[in-house]
Amino acid sequence: MATSKDESSEKAQPQPVMVVAIDESDHSAYALRWTLDHFFTAGNDSVFKLVLVHARPSATSSVGLAGPVYAGAAEVLPIVDSDLRKIAARVADSAKQLCIKKSVNNVIVEVVEGDPRNVLCDTVDKYHASILVVGSHGYGAIKRAVLGSVSDYCAHHAHCSVMIVKKPKTKH
Amino acid sequence: MEELGGGVDQVRGGAEERRMKMKVMVAIDESDGSFYALNWALDNIFNVMTSTSTIGTSTHENEGMVFLVHVEPIFHNYVYPIGPSGAAFYPASVVVDSVKKGQQERSAALLSRALQICKDKQIKAESVILNGDPREMICQAAEQMQVDLLIMGSRGLGKLQRAFLGSVSDYCAHHAKAPILIVKPPDEHHKKHS
Repeated sequence: MATSKDESSEKAQPQPVMVVAIDESDHSAYALRWTLDHFFTAGNDSVFKLVLVHARPSATSSVGLAGPVYAGAAEVLPIVDSDLRKIAARVADSAKQLCIKKSVNNVIVEVVEGDPRNVLCDTVDKYHASILVVGSHGYGAIKRAVLGSVSDYCAHHAHCSVMIVKKPKTKH
Repeated sequence: MEELGGGVDQVRGGAEERRMKMKVMVAIDESDGSFYALNWALDNIFNVMTSTSTIGTSTHENEGMVFLVHVEPIFHNYVYPIGPSGAAFYPASVVVDSVKKGQQERSAALLSRALQICKDKQIKAESVILNGDPREMICQAAEQMQVDLLIMGSRGLGKLQRAFLGSVSDYCAHHAKAPILIVKPPDEHHKKHS
């Protein structure tokens, strides 16, 4: 595989894209760190193009969770929305900081509103990614059935290879 | 890039020692999917390491290590009726032995094919043959060898098939402690994609 010698953005082959899913949880931060350590060493950012994507839950869906009928929903929505935006910005920011710390520049960070499963699969399609990296909350079978598992869905439905990085349980 | 190499190389040199040596385990079976996974993994993951070593002046060999693991399902000794009336039963040991031998030969052929692929790409590889239920054995092996990444192919089963046939990659994705990479076969998805 020819490493391109010129620094211009002309590359002989299209650069493979790696999409990493991030959210507020520790698990995804761990997944991002693990990926950076193993795949983006020493600022070698010429192999994979890194795209970070955060799926922001939409305000309506979050309020909807509070209960099917919520009289004051209309007033609460803008507040919930700005709150979610702040959280999303914070997540995106800390992820970008992490990348810079590992000297990986040139990272695309996207915050998309919607259900994580669809957002991740759509992002993969948009960038024609070769790998999708997700963390895993490590739910057991029952939690998984009730809460649903994004990593599971992506492993089955994404149009590319999926890497699931689990945070090791620290009870050695 | 190489003109700038002079000053950057010293940094790179130190960084290369810091570089993580990835221990990777790839699950192999007869399916094309697992060989595709092996090739894909070797191309995409290990070139991360080769590209750093070609840019720098040091001649680090590829530091990654691949463990190829093949699990043979246990062959059950079934009992075969013999004799005209079927009154006498004994496990046909001849049958059992020949099946076992066939299985071993097949495993050996598979793994040697996989090892050859690794050798062609100049990546160190070792092979392991295990017996038992593929799902558990793969997860156990990954844990015992403390691999950094477990790589599996995927047969691309649909939901229903997955529920009935069971999926080894599914099981491992849930139960393996190590990060797992599931490589999908190249797409006929593009046709379905509207």
